[in-house]
Amino acid sequence: MRADPRSWPITVRVGAAAAGLMILLGLAASQQVLATLGRLQDARLQEIARLHVEGLAVALGPFVLHKDVWEVYDTLDRARGAGRIRFTVVADDEGRVLAATDPLRAPVGSALARFAEGASPLGSVSADGAEEVVRIAAPLEYQGRRVGRIVTELDVSDLAAERRRATLALLAGNGAATALLVLAGYLAVARLLRPVELLARHMGEAGDAPRPIPERMIPRSDNVLARLLRNFNAMTGAIEARAQAERRLAERERFVSLGRLSSSLAHEINNPLGGLLNAADTIRAYADRPEVVRQSAELLDRGLRHLRDVSRAMLDEHRLDRAGRPLSRADFEDLRVLFSPEARRRAQRLEWRVEGDERDLAAFPSAPVRQIALNLLLNAAAAAPQGGVVELSAEADGAALTLRIGDDGPGLSDAARARLMSEAPLEPGGGVGLRLVRELTRGLGGAIDCARMDGRTVIEIRLPARAEA
Amino acid sequence: MDRRRFLAQTALAAIAAPLAARAGEPFRLGLTPVFLDNDAAVIDRLRFALSGALGEPVELIQRRTYQEITASILDGSVDAAWICGYPYLQHRDALALLGVPVWRGRPLYQSYLIARADDPAAGLADLRGGLHAFSDPDSNSGYLVTASDLARMNETPESFFARTIFTYGHRNVVRAVAGGLTRSGSVDGYVWETLAQVEPTLTARTRVVARSEWLGFPPFAARADRMAEPGMRAFARALRGLDADPAGREALALLHLDRIAPADPSLFDGIAARMAALQGR
Repeated sequence: MRADPRSWPITVRVGAAAAGLMILLGLAASQQVLATLGRLQDARLQEIARLHVEGLAVALGPFVLHKDVWEVYDTLDRARGAGRIRFTVVADDEGRVLAATDPLRAPVGSALARFAEGASPLGSVSADGAEEVVRIAAPLEYQGRRVGRIVTELDVSDLAAERRRATLALLAGNGAATALLVLAGYLAVARLLRPVELLARHMGEAGDAPRPIPERMIPRSDNVLARLLRNFNAMTGAIEARAQAERRLAERERFVSLGRLSSSLAHEINNPLGGLLNAADTIRAYADRPEVVRQSAELLDRGLRHLRDVSRAMLDEHRLDRAGRPLSRADFEDLRVLFSPEARRRAQRLEWRVEGDERDLAAFPSAPVRQIALNLLLNAAAAAPQGGVVELSAEADGAALTLRIGDDGPGLSDAARARLMSEAPLEPGGGVGLRLVRELTRGLGGAIDCARMDGRTVIEIRLPARAEA
Repeated sequence: MDRRRFLAQTALAAIAAPLAARAGEPFRLGLTPVFLDNDAAVIDRLRFALSGALGEPVELIQRRTYQEITASILDGSVDAAWICGYPYLQHRDALALLGVPVWRGRPLYQSYLIARADDPAAGLADLRGGLHAFSDPDSNSGYLVTASDLARMNETPESFFARTIFTYGHRNVVRAVAGGLTRSGSVDGYVWETLAQVEPTLTARTRVVARSEWLGFPPFAARADRMAEPGMRAFARALRGLDADPAGREALALLHLDRIAPADPSLFDGIAARMAALQGR
């Protein structure tokens, strides 16, 4: 799984969030239970300590009053085996030890003070913490007056062990419960979010176009989600409609570019016609002069061939079944035939260079490349001044085809640049030719670059060769 | 006293009633816990054996000190008692001997001066300035022997030891020394030896520093003016015949004693000498 949680699937993220909350809840609950256990243990310990000390006070009172060392010792010694008492020392009212359960540790007559250090009073005894022994100091009262003092050490290792066991049990129990809840939460969230996942899948995760969600997969139970999915379906329909409209627009654009050429192409046809008619008159007038007839027939033949080339190029541009036909040098010749009259009309010089053998060129589709080049040439011709320069260079090297169309015009306007270089919405009234160039290039996986150098605007289209070629 | 024992005693009393000199009143024998410390089984066996031998119920009455028991004999609240040679001699005009236990073949025992097992003391003189445990101020082995030894050294227990305590039981003296409450103690040698067999872990924590000469074993005694009473004579016979029947032998075995023998006052001359030493100081 990727490290950045923001990149996790939504089901995992929501599941993880639910798990986190569950763990927090488990910790809080455990803390609460442990605190309660601690309070109960402290209360129990205080009760035990109180009973112990009170019991000793009752038993020892007269002996302490009379400083009867043996009876104090005997009483302590006999009480020693009981319960959690580890050590008890009893002193008289002057703080001198009378007897202890361990006289070697607290000899008769020594000072009690060192045993009272760090001892808690009865009411504030706590088994909290890791100590296995708690020390308690209490006054020893008999017949309403204080006759001595008692310091006792109680073994609380069982309470500490109990707390440890409870902690482990809580950890294990809460861990298991949390794991179960996390799993259940994950499954529930995954189920709840299934329509969202569905939506994400159909929105085109792999970079393809959004696909509508089949009606049978739209949940019936959830009105909001169902509405969302239906809205999405409606949206995919709108996107598809727009794509179709764009395809129709692209088709029309081909006619538009031809339309832009129609005037110069009409001239291209009309101009030779006068010469051809003259040749026909010459043949008619000099029918008996074979060399004149032959010359005129040659002239007719050349003119008609030119007309045939022009009309074939125009027909080719119109043909709808070009899809999938590979690019060839002939395509660039057609382009030249179609475009040259327009350049001539504007007295522009045409610099034309095509490099690469037919095999390399065949790696690219004919129709979109022709459309891209023609649109850019028309654009360049329009941008270049009367008597200016328009250039085309095409280089195919097996890996890529680089088309460069340049002109010595003033450069692309902002609107034109926006159409060519960005996805910005089309301004009403502007042409769609450059936007079509962009879309065709993107469709072929290519890149567009626009530069201005040596007073020329050069648009470079770089297309990768098709894998199957 | 629990109900079972009460019923048993009542039944025994009913059976024994025709033979009893004073019907309805059991023979009362006084004891101190000086050496029969909290051993209910031993006391019960002894009472059962004596009742059987006497043919009438015997009541065992325990007091904390020799002084109380001696007073009980003198004021008649017990008929007889197992006392120490020292209080016997203190009241030898008023008391008479019923018998003396025979231990390891002789009616004699010793007083032991004990210290903790790891104490380096080699004798009484090395124990100066420590805490010392006596058993009873009227006990020969538990007081008189050490006090008279000190008197011969021109010392008193108070001057020689930092502090002395009375535990009112020979076993308690051993406990006090073994537990570290006192550095040393004066104890009945018979009790120490018996404890060494039945409670070896207790005596193992003590060491005998010094032993006294052999002295008369604590005897059974009664008021001299009642010795002629038939009941008293029967009780003396029962005591001395304990080893003749199984119940008596069982009780004697629990006490680690051989039998109860007739006693002569001269048996306690050694104790009398120590009393003289103490008084002549």
